[in-house]
Amino acid sequence: MKVSLNFVSKFVDLDGLTPEEIAHRLTFAGVEVESIEKLGQGTKLVVGEVLTCENMPDSDHLHLTTVNCGSKYGVLHIVCGAPNMRKGLKVIVATDGAKLPGGTINKGKIRGYDSEGMCCSLLELGVDGKYLKEEQTKGIEELPSDTEVGREDVLHLLGLDDTVLDLKLLANRSDMYAVLNVAKEIETLFGRKASLPCVEVKENSKEVCPVSSETPRCSQFSSRVVKGIVTKESPKWMKDILMASGIRSINNIVDIGNYIMLLTGQPLHMYDLDKLPKKELVVRDNCPGEFVALDEKSYALQDGDVCITSNGKVMCLGGVMGALECAVDENTKNIVIEAANFDYASIRRTSIRLNLSSDSSQRFVKGINPNQYNYVMDLTTDLLLSLADAKEVGPVTTYLEKKYEEKVIESSYEFINKRLGTSFNNEEIKKALESAFIKVEEKGEKIVCHIPASRIDIGEAADLSEEVIRILGFEHIESKLPFVQVSLGGLEPDLQNKRSVRSYLRGVGLDEIISYSLIREKEVRSFAILNKAEPYKVMNPLTDEHEYVRTNLLPSVLNTLLYNKNHGNNDLAIFEVSDLYGQNQKKQIHLAIALSGNDLRHQYVSGEEYNFYHMKGLVEQVLGLYHIDGKRAQFERANEKEFHPGKSAVVKVDGKVIAIFGELHPSVSKEYGFGKDKVIALEMDLAAIFATKTSPVTMEQISRYPTVSRDFAFVLANNVTSKEVISEIRKVDKTLIRDVNVFDVYHGEHIDEGFYSLALSVSIGSFEKTLNDQELSAVEEKIKQAVIVKFGAKLRQ
Amino acid sequence: MNLFDQVEELKKKILDESEKISDESSLKSFQEKFLSKKSELNGLMSHIKELAGEEKAKFGQSVNNARNVVQEAFQKKADEINQKILERKLEKEKIDISLPSINYEVGGINPFFLVQDEIMDIFVSMGYEVKEGPDVESDEYNFQRMNIPESHPAREMQDSFYIDPRTLLRTHTSPEQAHAMDEKNGKPLMMICPGKCFRRDDDDVTHSHQFGQVEGLVVGPGISLANLKATLELFVKKMFGEKREVRFRGSYFPFTEPSVEVDISCMNCGGKGCSTCKGTGFIEILGAGMVHPNVLRMSGYDPEKVSGFAFGIGIERVAMLRYKIDDIRKFYQSDVRFIEQFKRR
Repeated sequence: MKVSLNFVSKFVDLDGLTPEEIAHRLTFAGVEVESIEKLGQGTKLVVGEVLTCENMPDSDHLHLTTVNCGSKYGVLHIVCGAPNMRKGLKVIVATDGAKLPGGTINKGKIRGYDSEGMCCSLLELGVDGKYLKEEQTKGIEELPSDTEVGREDVLHLLGLDDTVLDLKLLANRSDMYAVLNVAKEIETLFGRKASLPCVEVKENSKEVCPVSSETPRCSQFSSRVVKGIVTKESPKWMKDILMASGIRSINNIVDIGNYIMLLTGQPLHMYDLDKLPKKELVVRDNCPGEFVALDEKSYALQDGDVCITSNGKVMCLGGVMGALECAVDENTKNIVIEAANFDYASIRRTSIRLNLSSDSSQRFVKGINPNQYNYVMDLTTDLLLSLADAKEVGPVTTYLEKKYEEKVIESSYEFINKRLGTSFNNEEIKKALESAFIKVEEKGEKIVCHIPASRIDIGEAADLSEEVIRILGFEHIESKLPFVQVSLGGLEPDLQNKRSVRSYLRGVGLDEIISYSLIREKEVRSFAILNKAEPYKVMNPLTDEHEYVRTNLLPSVLNTLLYNKNHGNNDLAIFEVSDLYGQNQKKQIHLAIALSGNDLRHQYVSGEEYNFYHMKGLVEQVLGLYHIDGKRAQFERANEKEFHPGKSAVVKVDGKVIAIFGELHPSVSKEYGFGKDKVIALEMDLAAIFATKTSPVTMEQISRYPTVSRDFAFVLANNVTSKEVISEIRKVDKTLIRDVNVFDVYHGEHIDEGFYSLALSVSIGSFEKTLNDQELSAVEEKIKQAVIVKFGAKLRQ
Repeated sequence: MNLFDQVEELKKKILDESEKISDESSLKSFQEKFLSKKSELNGLMSHIKELAGEEKAKFGQSVNNARNVVQEAFQKKADEINQKILERKLEKEKIDISLPSINYEVGGINPFFLVQDEIMDIFVSMGYEVKEGPDVESDEYNFQRMNIPESHPAREMQDSFYIDPRTLLRTHTSPEQAHAMDEKNGKPLMMICPGKCFRRDDDDVTHSHQFGQVEGLVVGPGISLANLKATLELFVKKMFGEKREVRFRGSYFPFTEPSVEVDISCMNCGGKGCSTCKGTGFIEILGAGMVHPNVLRMSGYDPEKVSGFAFGIGIERVAMLRYKIDDIRKFYQSDVRFIEQFKRR
């Protein structure tokens, strides 16, 4: 909302207040001033008269002119390119050294000709082109012929010596859409008495336009018939105010409507009385069909749209736009003025559906003062009398759903102080409220507050506390820490658990990423392995890139991996932990990891490309964080189309699949854009892991006697797994065999095709004594025999 | 020459000889020659039987004495030489310490999480509970329960991602206020809730259709705006440094009354005014206020008996200010060169 300070100063004295001071106070009181703009700018400007104007030889558009700039500046030679430049014109001249929004004007030569200044358009003085007529934007400004040559107060002359505050109005202060209320707010904040216009209109006719409403969407509707008006240009003072407020001047009738709206916040509509099918206006909300509006476009109306009808025909789309059919034009003589109050939700719905937003619809949407229609009618009529030569004025006719009742709120000084944590005395609070035009009656401990009609935002005692603090200043609030009797603070278990996984993974060098939760349909359908819930689809996505709520994490993590690869990052180990939501299921928590390129940890010593076993290690360690050991977690070969069939696994805990991981299937990898790069990926159901019950940790005895390590190397058929061999070895002696570990796997030279060598290290020890050589050899021999017999293995020499 | 003189002379000769030891081999030959069983000193010892009585003992003593002196001299030389050998060995073992290390580097953390975790830690240290609420939220909790009626402009379909007319992706973490109060069933509470939020904004330098917030809520008897101010001051000083000052500005949110915008003194210029704070000396960091009585009522709390304050902190906003991050999209692109800059607070 643009507020012209010249406009405001008609109603409250702003003398001695800088625009910055005003803006600062307003902002801290909850009426944020986004910007302070000078309407027009320029120094060293003077009114000149063009004495001569000749075309410059060799130029298709430049003129050589002499301009009389009065006694101070004399006659200046000016080269000018404006098409409307001609002899006799009164123009604005920016003289040598003039500072304009676009830069400084200096004497100089243009194509070898002296130019001692510049003739200006309003654009060059910083005026926004949207307030100007087309011809004004195409050439220099043409001043009225009676303008005095040599005048230097050019900005004042043009009404451009104004400062405009751009208010960023929040939904509560709809009253600030009225300049009168801005003036009152300045009275509240600066203690300067605002004087509001007071008019007395003499009715000289009995003619009325009857009004009624058939819908609850209209709470009040008033009309007045004014006859014998003359349409013409508005006076300069009004045009200046409209321009400063961001509204283009059209003609006196339209301008009066806009001026009153700016002043009072009440949007008006004017009907050409003679074009109405019947002398009546009926508000209805059941008029579906075509409607041709003022903008000459046709709109499809629906049930629920607020329509002002006459003899059943829609004459105006309430609060949004009038019909072309009864529009006021230059031939209009007799009009009906409408001042109404409509249900703001309906107006909003209609204006959004039809993509028709106007200054008036915006005001209806925020809510308007319900009790000022008579005042508004009189202000309007007064202007029609003085600026449009109105001859006949009828009485105001009003439909009212119910009589306006003043809002009365009961509270107490104590309540207000308690809520604010302040210690204002009663007098201070009372004064603050009264300065906001709230009448305060003291009744014992209580106060009874009468709220002005313009403040539709004030509804209960809490609102009064806000009025007090915004007026007295938020700096009065002291700092006092709260004391609340509560249970123990801290993270809820899922959060705590997520943190420990995240911190472990970063601890071993993985980078923690975040990605968008909304993904493409194609992505949400891939890697739907752990969570098979139907995904939520967004009804109104911005792009198909963000259309579905992800149910699994890998697609997003792979996207991030790809983004990195495409930006030259090759050795990557990234992960994300996120909550996931699918239809008909409770919140899921997943972890996804993607590895690609070389293991960064030992790159210098032994660079190694990430493979299945890196990921397996991460999986085991994450499970280990939650005390799920190798006995409880089963790794089984996976069979999912997204993964390499030979290099992927699912992990089951207590029979439930809680993770899938492995190398991406080469064709999936290629489709994702990774080309031939190997990508190792994991998706894990953390919620399932967090929910797994494990027994509490208790200390395990450590043997006092030494354990001895013995190495074995077996040649085995390829289909024998290390896991089977290890479990067979463990079975040999469950008390003496403490641990079995693989230390080498070898295929190739000296080993027959279809076989491989598996080297294992077995720790042997007793809790009761130190084993002697004989006892050790016995165990060793049993191990060899067991593996040879069970798997047909050969000992490797 | 009597035997005693011979011992003395031999000792002198061996000591002279020991002076010539210069390396490992001369050390070894010296040892063999003068300190072995067959050494001359030992040879002299065989003459002991030619002496008698007291002389015998005296002679034995003098040979032993000579042997000790020689041994000592030898040891001194041996130590010197071994030291030199060791030094040479260590010299040979010298490595290039400028070569790269074995990488035990910790992984980077997206600053989104760095800040989110830190905010949680600060409030946990003040005794707050930390909860999480759903990303997919009912329109009732997201709006109605937050005192945003059906007709409110914030309810516009075009501003939110709807799943169906009654379900949407939450547009703020404020609905967690209602969830937390439901759960507490009328009891006092202090909680924060971090989470992802979604709005139908096109992504650009300052806008993101997905962003993070941390909601805060304290409800109890006598909670006031003064309590909010002290709490946020503690938070701001922890997050942005001890010198930061907090300033309230009047504002409006449907679910708080009074509502305030919270500004902090600019960390770049300390409040003097610079380009970071657009010359104002202050930077807007979050919105807050006293919980609206309607919100309390709808959650089963009696606004006559208890009051509350609430605040909403923008995670990216805090991270961007703190780490001078210039584009909100950088969080979600998650380029590892960006992430790896953030490892610790």
